[in-house]
Amino acid sequence: MNIVVCMKQVPDTETKIRLKEGNGGIQTDGVKWIINPYCEFAVEEALRIRERNGGQGTVTLVCMGPDRAVESIRTALAMGVDKAIHLNDPLFEGSDNFGVAKILARAIQTIPHDIILCGKQAVDDDASQVPQILAEQLNIPHVMVVEKMEVDVANKKVTTSRRIEGGAKEVLEVPLPAVFGADKGMNEPRYASLPGIMKAKSKEVKKVTAADLGLKPEEIGVAAAKVKIQAYSLPPERQAGKKIEGGDPAQVAHELAKWLREEARVI
Amino acid sequence: MSFESIVFTLILLVSFAAFGYSAKKLISFLRLGKSEERFDHLAKRVRDVLTMVLGQSRLFREPLAGLMHFAIFWGFLVITIGTLEMMIQGIYPPFSLHFLGRIYSVLLFTQDLFAAFVALAVLYAFYRRYVSRPKRLQVHKEAQWDATLILLLIFTLMVSLFTLNGAEMARGSDLHAGAKPVSRAIAALFSALSPNALAVWSRASWWVHMLTVLGFLNYLPFSKHLHIMAAAPNVFFQTSRPKGALKAMNLEDESVTTFGVSKITDFSWKQLLDTYSCTECGRCTAACPANITGKLLSPRAIITQMRDALLEQGPTLLKQQKGGTLTSEEQELVNKTVPASWITEQELWACTTCRACVTECPVGIEHIDHIVDMRRYLTLMEGKISPEAQTALRNIENNSNPWGIGADTRADWAKGLDVPILSQVECGEVDVLYWVGCSGSFDQRNKKISVALTQIMKKAGVRFGILGTEEKCSGDSPRRLGNEYLAQTLMKENVATLNKYKFKKVVTACPHCFNTIKNEYPQFGGNYEVVHHSQFIAQLVKEGRLSVTAGKEISATTYHDSCYLGRHNDVYEAPRDVVKSVANGAFVETRRSRDKGFCCGAGGGRMWMEEKEGKRVNIERTEELLETGAKTIATACPFCMTMINDGVRAKAKEEEVRVLDISELLANSLL
Amino acid sequence: MAGIWVYAEHKDGKLKSTAAQLLTGARTLAETLSEEVVAVLLGSGVEAMAAPLGPLGADKVLVADAQPLGQYLTEPYCHVLTTLMKERQPSIFLGPASSIGKDLFPRVAARLQTGLASDCTGIGLTENKDLKLKRPVYAGKAFIEVVISGRPAMASIRPNTLTPKPADSSKTALSEKISVSIPPEAFRVKLKEVVKGKSEKVDLTEASIIVSGGRAMQNSENYKILWDLASAFGEGATVGASRAAVDSSYASHDMQVGQTGKVVNPNLYIACGISGAIQHLAGMRTSKVIVAINKDPEAPIFQKADFGIVGDLFKLVPALIEEIKKIKAHD
Repeated sequence: MNIVVCMKQVPDTETKIRLKEGNGGIQTDGVKWIINPYCEFAVEEALRIRERNGGQGTVTLVCMGPDRAVESIRTALAMGVDKAIHLNDPLFEGSDNFGVAKILARAIQTIPHDIILCGKQAVDDDASQVPQILAEQLNIPHVMVVEKMEVDVANKKVTTSRRIEGGAKEVLEVPLPAVFGADKGMNEPRYASLPGIMKAKSKEVKKVTAADLGLKPEEIGVAAAKVKIQAYSLPPERQAGKKIEGGDPAQVAHELAKWLREEARVI
Repeated sequence: MSFESIVFTLILLVSFAAFGYSAKKLISFLRLGKSEERFDHLAKRVRDVLTMVLGQSRLFREPLAGLMHFAIFWGFLVITIGTLEMMIQGIYPPFSLHFLGRIYSVLLFTQDLFAAFVALAVLYAFYRRYVSRPKRLQVHKEAQWDATLILLLIFTLMVSLFTLNGAEMARGSDLHAGAKPVSRAIAALFSALSPNALAVWSRASWWVHMLTVLGFLNYLPFSKHLHIMAAAPNVFFQTSRPKGALKAMNLEDESVTTFGVSKITDFSWKQLLDTYSCTECGRCTAACPANITGKLLSPRAIITQMRDALLEQGPTLLKQQKGGTLTSEEQELVNKTVPASWITEQELWACTTCRACVTECPVGIEHIDHIVDMRRYLTLMEGKISPEAQTALRNIENNSNPWGIGADTRADWAKGLDVPILSQVECGEVDVLYWVGCSGSFDQRNKKISVALTQIMKKAGVRFGILGTEEKCSGDSPRRLGNEYLAQTLMKENVATLNKYKFKKVVTACPHCFNTIKNEYPQFGGNYEVVHHSQFIAQLVKEGRLSVTAGKEISATTYHDSCYLGRHNDVYEAPRDVVKSVANGAFVETRRSRDKGFCCGAGGGRMWMEEKEGKRVNIERTEELLETGAKTIATACPFCMTMINDGVRAKAKEEEVRVLDISELLANSLL
Repeated sequence: MAGIWVYAEHKDGKLKSTAAQLLTGARTLAETLSEEVVAVLLGSGVEAMAAPLGPLGADKVLVADAQPLGQYLTEPYCHVLTTLMKERQPSIFLGPASSIGKDLFPRVAARLQTGLASDCTGIGLTENKDLKLKRPVYAGKAFIEVVISGRPAMASIRPNTLTPKPADSSKTALSEKISVSIPPEAFRVKLKEVVKGKSEKVDLTEASIIVSGGRAMQNSENYKILWDLASAFGEGATVGASRAAVDSSYASHDMQVGQTGKVVNPNLYIACGISGAIQHLAGMRTSKVIVAINKDPEAPIFQKADFGIVGDLFKLVPALIEEIKKIKAHD
C-alpha cells in the first residue's frame, strides 16, 4: 500500500495577522510555522493505516513550500513518515488552488500512490479546494471531510465515513487510488518520539523544482492563477463586547436573540 | 582448640561465606546499573553521613519513632563491638578487650545500658506494629512477617545477652559486673540456680546469641533490613545536585537510541542501591499528597517494585551479560520493562514532584529522579502521556506557553504600566530582570500578581525590566512531564536570551521558574543570581525601601507553602516575613507547613493534567487551609494560586475567604 | 455567454434558504451585466421546487431531475453540472458554501479549468465586469479580495451572507427540463449508508453552537435548561461544561471544555455561570462569537465575551429559549 500525504505548512493558528505594506500579503517575520492541523490528521491517519496493515507500505510526504517548510517536513518524518518530496521553487509562489493542485498532481504522478491523504482544508487560505482539484487532475475519486477510513488492502478499496450537515454521516466505498480530505476528530496525532526526531534527520527529503516536473513558468505561480488576489485587509479591531447589566430578562433575551441573528449572524 | 571452638569456628566460616556469597550477588546486581559519578563533593557526603546516619536526623521528624530507632541504631553500633569480642572468644576463649582499661568499663556500661534501650525500643516497635498501627505500618502480610521476624531476632539477641551476662554474674565469673547495672539486676533472678545450671544457662545463652547474630547476618540480604548495610553508603552517595534540579540528559550523543528509563539496566547503580536501602518504613508514602488523596501512587511501592524487578531480573540479566544463551522464558523475563510490568503509568503520572517523600526518607532515596526518569521514557520513547499534557506541550512548542495563547501577546499584561522591555532599554542594563512567567503573563488572575509586583518595584525605585515576547516557558513543566527534549530546547533558548542582557539578578514570582532558572539553567550555561519575589520583597521591606501600613491586613491570614519554594529551595521565612509585615500578628500556621507542607496538586506538570483518581489534592489542601479559620490565604506561587482558588470555590467559600499572593497583600498595604 | 447561474440547494423536498439568498445576489449582478439569472436544480423528484424559484429571482430554471441524482454523490453531480455548463457557457456560477457546495464546486471548477473562490462573504463586480469576491482567510483574522476573470467565474457563498429579498409572487421562471445521462464510471464511489445524526449527539468539537454551564448551575436538574436551549437552536448545537460543573457531577467528563477537556471552536459559545478562568478560556476562546451570562460583573469571562449579560441565568436562559424558538419558527 503506497500512501501519499500532501502537507502544507501554515502560520500557527494563534499568530497575530499583520499585513505587509502595499499588497504583499501577511507579514511573516516572527511567525511560528506549523503543520496545517488538518494535514497533521492526514499524516497520522497514513501512519495508522500502515500500522494496521502490519507495517506494510510506504508513506511519502509531498509538501509544497519555501525553505522554511523543511522544519515541518522533518516533524512529519519524525512522526514516522518514510520519505518526503519537497516541492520548492520560487516559481511555485503565488499559485492559486488550481496551480497548487497541478503541481502536486505532477509530483504524485511520478510516484506510486494508492491512497492520497490531504487535510480537508488549510487554515491559512481556508479554501478547501486542493484535494478535489487534485483528484480531478489525477482522474480519481475524492472524499472530503473524512472522519474514518477502513482500508481493504486485498481489494484495493476503502470504506470511509464523512461528515455531512446536521451531524449526519455518509458511509462510502471508494476504489483506490483516491484522495481523502481528513477532518478533525479522525484521530489524535501522535507526539513525535525522540528517537523519531533523531531518525528524521537522516531520512530522505527530495527537493523538486518546476523544471523537474516539466512545468513551464507560465503554467504556475501568480501568472497562471485563475483566482487573483487583489487586496488584503484586516477585519475591524475587535470591539469591546456589549455588556448589559440588569434589566428585564425577557427584554434582554430578546435583544440578545436579535443581536445573534442580525449582527453576529450565527443563527 | 576445644571441640566447641572448632564447631563454632566452622559455623562462623560457613556463615561468613554464605553472607559473602549473598553480598557479592547483590553487588553484582548493582553493577547492572549505569555508571554515575557520586564521589564528588566529599565534604558534603561526609556531613550527610554524620547528620543522617549517626545523627539519625530524618528519623526525628517523628520524635517517638525517631527515638526508638535511635536507640536501636546506636545500641547496635555499641553492642556490635561486644559481639565481635564474643565471636573472637568463641574461637579463642581467653581473648578480651579488657586491656582497654577504663574505656573497657565505659564500653561495657554503655553496652549494658543500650541493650536495655534496644529491648525497650523493640517492645515499642511491637506495640506500633500490632497495637497502635499507624497507617504507614499497615503493610502486606509478607512485609509484616519480615518485620516481626527481625524484631524477634533483635529481641532474642538482647535477651540472650542479658541471660548470658546474668548467668555469668551469678556464677561470679564476671570480672566487670560493676559496669553492667542492668545485667546485675538480671543476675539476681539467677541467684537461686545451681552452679551447673548457671553454666548451662551461660553457654546456651552464648550460643543462642551467636547463632542469632549469624542467622541475622544471613537473613539480611533477603530482607528489607538490608538497609542496615545499604543505608549508610546510600546516604553517602546522595546526589550533590541542588535539591530542585533534575539531572540533565545527554541529547547530543547520537549513538544513544533509548531515552529515559524502562529497563533495570537503564537505572544508575545509585538508583539500584536506593532499592537496597529502602526499609519500607513508609514515611515517604505517609507524606505523599497523591497517596493521601487516595491515588495508587506510593513512593515506597515505587522503590520496592523497582527492587522486585531487580531481584527477579538480576540473575538472568547477569547471565545475558556474560553471553549466556537465554531460554525463551528467560528472554521474556528480561524483555519486561519496569514502567509496565512492575510499575504502572498511573502511578508515575500521579506524582506532583512535591519532594515530600525525598524530604522524609531517612536513607536518602531519590524518588523523584526515578519517577521522572521513567516518565522520560514514556514521553520520549512511547508517547504515552495523557492527551491533556500533550496539548500543553504542543502549546508550549508553538507559542511557548501551556495554554497556547499567541506568543506575541506575552507582554500585553504590562500595557499602560510603563514596564521597560529589555530589548528596548537604551543601555540594555537593569538591576533586576523581572521574569514574569507564563501564568503572570497570560492568566487573568495571575496577571494581577504581575501588576502588584510591578507596583511594588516601582514604589521601591527598583530599576527593572522584562524580556517581553522574548521570554518563553522556563521549561519546568515539560521537564517534569518527561519531555527533556522540549525542556532543554526552551532552557537553552532562554539562556541565550538572558545572556544577551546585563542585569544583577533575576526576580520571579513563580517558584517553578525560580527553581528551574536557579538550579537547572547552570546545566546549560546560565548562571544567575535568582531570587523569588518573596525574598526580594522581604529584603525591600527590611531595608526600609517600602513603607507599609503594618496591620492593615486585619483578617486572620495563613500561608500555603509552595513545594518548589519550600522543600526544593528551603525558602520558608521570606514569604512569612512579607505576610507578617502586613498581617500584624493575625497570622496562623496551617497544620502541615514548612518542610512538611502539603502540595497544592499542580507540580510536576500535574497542573496540565486531569485528576480523576481519588480526592483532588487541591481540595484536601484547601480544606486544611480553611480549617485554620483564616479569612485570607496567602500564596507565593501562581500554580498554588490557581489550585487553592479552585479549591475555595469548590468549597463555596469564595465569598468569605480570599486567596491572595504575598505581593498583592503587600501592595494593598503600601503607603 | 449565457447568464448568471445559481445552484439551488434543497433538502427533504424543500429549497434551502441559501437559494433565495444566492438568487438575490445574482439578481444584483444581473442588473449590471444585463444577463439572465438561471437557477439550477439537481436531484430526483425536484421538479416541484422549480416554480418557487421564479418569485425568488430566477428568470429560468434548469431542472436535472433523474433518479440517480436522488442521493448526492460527487461525481454524478459533477458530471451533470459540468456537461450543462460546458454546453451553455454561463458567465458566473454561484453556489452555497454548504457541505455539498464545498465538496462539489472545486471539482466542477477543476473540470472546467476555471477559477473558484470558496466560502465568500462579499460579492461584486470590477470595473471590467469581472466577478470580485471578498473572503475570510486565517480563520477570519484577515480578508482577501479576489477577482476571477475567466469564465465561468465560480464562487461559493457562505450561508446567511446575503440578505434575501422577499419573494415577488408576480414573477415566474421558465422551467426547462434537462435530459440526464451519466456514464457508469461516475458511480465508482458507492454510497453504503447515511447515518442520521441527532442534535444532542453532536460532538463538542464539531458543534457549531455550544451552550455551556459552570458550577453556578447548582445541580444537574438545572442543567437541563441548557439542553433545552441547545435543542431550541437545533442542528449542530450541543451542551458543554466547565471543569467545576463536571467535578460537581452536573455534567459528564466528555462534556468538559477547557485546557484539560475539549478544545472547541464553534460559531457561537454561550457561557452560563462560567467565570472564565484561563483553564476554561484555553478551551473555547477561539469560538467565533462568545456570549456570557454571569451574575458576577467582575467575572473574567466578560473580557472575552462579545455579548455579556450580568444577571440571573435561571431567568435569562428560559427567556432566551422562547426568543430562539420564535426565530426558528419563522425559518
